[in-house]
Amino acid sequence: MADLDEAAINNPSSDAGQIEVDLSDETQDFRMLNSLSFLADTNDLSLPKRGEKDFEPNPTLFQADILSASRQAMHSALSYPRLHNPKNKVIGVYAPNGPAPPPDPKLDLISEDAPTERPAPTTSIGVSLTTCVYVANPKGGLFKTIGQADRWNRIWLLPEEALYLLERGSLDIRWPRGAVGDGGEHNIEDSGIPMSLQAAYASFIGHSGLTMEKFSVYTGLRRLGYAVFRAPGWSQSDNDTDGTACSTEPSEEGQLAMRQGPGLAGIFKRFLQWLQDSPSTTAAMGPLIGFGFHRGYNHLFRKLALIPYYDPVTASPSRAELPYTVALHIYKPSTHIRKSALPDPDFRIAVVNARTDTDMPTLSQIGSLLESTPLEPPASNKPLYVRLKNGYRNVILAVVDQGVVSYLRIADAAFGKEKIFDAQAPLRGNKLRGPPRNKFKKR
Amino acid sequence: MTKHLPLPPVPNPSSLTTFVSSESDPVTTTCATTSQVIHNLQYQHLWTSLKVHHLNLSFPVSLISGIPPHRVYTHPDEQLYMVEHGLREEDVELDRMFVLPTVQGQSWSLEKMAGVFDALPSPGDEDAESEAQSADDAATDGTTADKAAKLAKYYEYRVKARQTGEWGCKRLLLAMIDKGMGGEGTVVYYVAQEGTVKPRQN
Amino acid sequence: MNTTPELPVPISYIAGNYFVFSVDAATFLRREHNICGVLTGTLPQVPQQNVFTGLPLELMPEEARLLVEKGVACIVDEVNFQKQGMRSLVEEDRKKYLQELESQGLETMQLQMRRKERQRDASLKKIEEKKAAAKAKKAEAKEDTTADAPTVAEDSVVSLFADSGEPSSHISSRRPSTLGSIEPMGITPPVSHPPLPQQPPAKHLLPLPEVQSSYPLFAHLHSKGYFLCPGLRFGCQYLAYPGDPLRFHSHFLVVSTEWDEQLDLMTVISGGRLGTGVKKGFLIGGANKNVEESDGAGSNVRTFSIEWAGM
Repeated sequence: MADLDEAAINNPSSDAGQIEVDLSDETQDFRMLNSLSFLADTNDLSLPKRGEKDFEPNPTLFQADILSASRQAMHSALSYPRLHNPKNKVIGVYAPNGPAPPPDPKLDLISEDAPTERPAPTTSIGVSLTTCVYVANPKGGLFKTIGQADRWNRIWLLPEEALYLLERGSLDIRWPRGAVGDGGEHNIEDSGIPMSLQAAYASFIGHSGLTMEKFSVYTGLRRLGYAVFRAPGWSQSDNDTDGTACSTEPSEEGQLAMRQGPGLAGIFKRFLQWLQDSPSTTAAMGPLIGFGFHRGYNHLFRKLALIPYYDPVTASPSRAELPYTVALHIYKPSTHIRKSALPDPDFRIAVVNARTDTDMPTLSQIGSLLESTPLEPPASNKPLYVRLKNGYRNVILAVVDQGVVSYLRIADAAFGKEKIFDAQAPLRGNKLRGPPRNKFKKR
Repeated sequence: MTKHLPLPPVPNPSSLTTFVSSESDPVTTTCATTSQVIHNLQYQHLWTSLKVHHLNLSFPVSLISGIPPHRVYTHPDEQLYMVEHGLREEDVELDRMFVLPTVQGQSWSLEKMAGVFDALPSPGDEDAESEAQSADDAATDGTTADKAAKLAKYYEYRVKARQTGEWGCKRLLLAMIDKGMGGEGTVVYYVAQEGTVKPRQN
Repeated sequence: MNTTPELPVPISYIAGNYFVFSVDAATFLRREHNICGVLTGTLPQVPQQNVFTGLPLELMPEEARLLVEKGVACIVDEVNFQKQGMRSLVEEDRKKYLQELESQGLETMQLQMRRKERQRDASLKKIEEKKAAAKAKKAEAKEDTTADAPTVAEDSVVSLFADSGEPSSHISSRRPSTLGSIEPMGITPPVSHPPLPQQPPAKHLLPLPEVQSSYPLFAHLHSKGYFLCPGLRFGCQYLAYPGDPLRFHSHFLVVSTEWDEQLDLMTVISGGRLGTGVKKGFLIGGANKNVEESDGAGSNVRTFSIEWAGM
């Protein structure tokens, strides 16, 4: 399944096999967008063909014309406005100081004794303190996987959620009156003044641990249809003044892994193993395979397996450190989720800024990162190579270089646990081999 | 049951080992590396007229030069010129090429690289002297007058193109051997050129 | 399109990143100064894909610095500029801005309704024509008419997109209610000017962006006409394009090194191999510390191009 999963993260559309090149790898000719935009109308979004590029500039007018047309297409694509039809527009209001109950008691549908005076903005109203935009009229499918509802049926959005919705033209975010010189500082009533894209970036990037790198990953995956949520390791730094409730707890996954451990079944298996092996391995100096009753080659091979190996199942969980912590939980578009009770994620992602962390993570950093993820052993009925690739734990590193994201999947492969000699049928050669090597072409 | 077998005779040193120890006395790392690359160029890649140039730099380094059996590198614009003028690579006189022998793990830096390139003769100088001779060769080769004319024009243009850097500036072959765990004799070759030289497309 | 924005172009500094939000500035920097940046935003017209992305344009600190050094741009402390600028708006500013938005919104709404009507009329007309034509030779096949109809409708959508660089939204697929009171379209503007001033006050300007030691190499290649993009995807520091990346493949995978920095030759070899595998050269370079840089374009930079020799 590992192969499929990886293909999915590159291209989650159903026809994953069709596109071999990741078009987002290189700058695309914006003229291709014309065909894309009208297809989007019919909900039949298919990717355009890779635009033909030249090797180098030449002084021909033809080339200059094409370039100018491409730039023109880019300009008009980038000028496309974010419009909100009055019939179905969704309005959010920025609450710079975090969630607060509605100022107007009329809005309070549940409790009659709503406070008439506005309390301090830190009052808990059942949503994360790091949210900063509320939507009083949440409409549309996007809110199925975005936002948290308070008891006044308003949806509160985290900064990345708000920015993503604004950016895609699905949300009209307004400045609160308090921020535009129209009322007290804590007044978060709608001022009617829309927040520009520029203002939204200035307000939301940097809010509650949202770095541009995390936002690039968040929005890139959202655009592909994944549901993305903050993971407990979103921000662990002590100076996180917004105090994400979950950030200070030890990773729930780590706890899970601890509980799972080798498990009862594992202990029993080890005991059996010990029974089987111990009688003949007494002689420290003697022959590895002494005299005795040998029931088959497997028995002999097992005795020859002298070299200790790392077993991911028994690895003890340890605390991962930033940036190598799982910051995002990803769900495939097909996964059914309820915001209130999120299932185990399909993927776990750590976000790395390539500019500040220029080296490959050390083995111990990767180790702690992997150990913070739950044990997901490969299915035993899968072929050997698939099992090795799947590994026992896995995590995805999203390495962001100035807005360009590369995804690397790291898995804890257990070569030592794959007893080749235990294989039932003789192994077919190609199962053992890796993916086909790219031949280096001779010029 | 166990009879003592006579110890197998010590194998003769490999031709490479013999070559390396005969070339340099005393055997220093730099010399051994150079010898090994020369050996590889001579016997695997069939280069001729191999020479060693000792560079007087702040660190020990020497260059090898020789003539390859066929062209190793053609600048894309030079190739285009040749195609346009109906010339094939075989028609053109082979050039002496410089090779920088290196070994994996050797301490290296941009500064050293620049030092080696600075020590290379500038491409214009070489051409001036070889031009006349090349033109003569072409005439006596028995090629048609037409081709000779084309070649002469090509050589003339090449002098200019090399001086302006249109067909690339200074270049050398970076040869690297891996002596880790005793090494296994592989030598890899990369073309290194001064400045931004666009890549070949074929 | 070939408009020149008011100079210097403000570059927004937000939480350690450099952004350009104005479409005119973004295309101007690309066209006149070979600065591409990376479009990191979502395009509202096609929000569910990653092939084409939109504003903002994220600039590398190198790009931002180069533009400031050339006097083309200035760095704005956007967070404080926004916060203080918005807070200091007075009643009159707010009213004026809201009125402006409302009239723009009304205009857009009317435009969209008219376009929809035209579009509907056109497709109806075409269908009618087809039907008539089909009727004329209905002896042959009757099913053709029904099969043709959707194609016609699609064609009209294409032509609509072909002729417009203007807003042509499909946010609402419903037919506009019969003309009567028209409500204005809500608009999320891309930039905050207006209501904020185009050029921020001096107190919100920031000094030159801090850059890595690779900056001289960056500036050198840029001065030679190369377009440079972040290169991590291809296993290097920068990708160098001989022209606009919209039209051209890159020539080099660029890695910068310091003049006397210990350099593992294996880096050179693996870089050369990596580049050759994708028909690009591997370019390694850096500034000579012992030589004074004279022209601000990395004149003391030495570069070397590496390719597999094929032997």
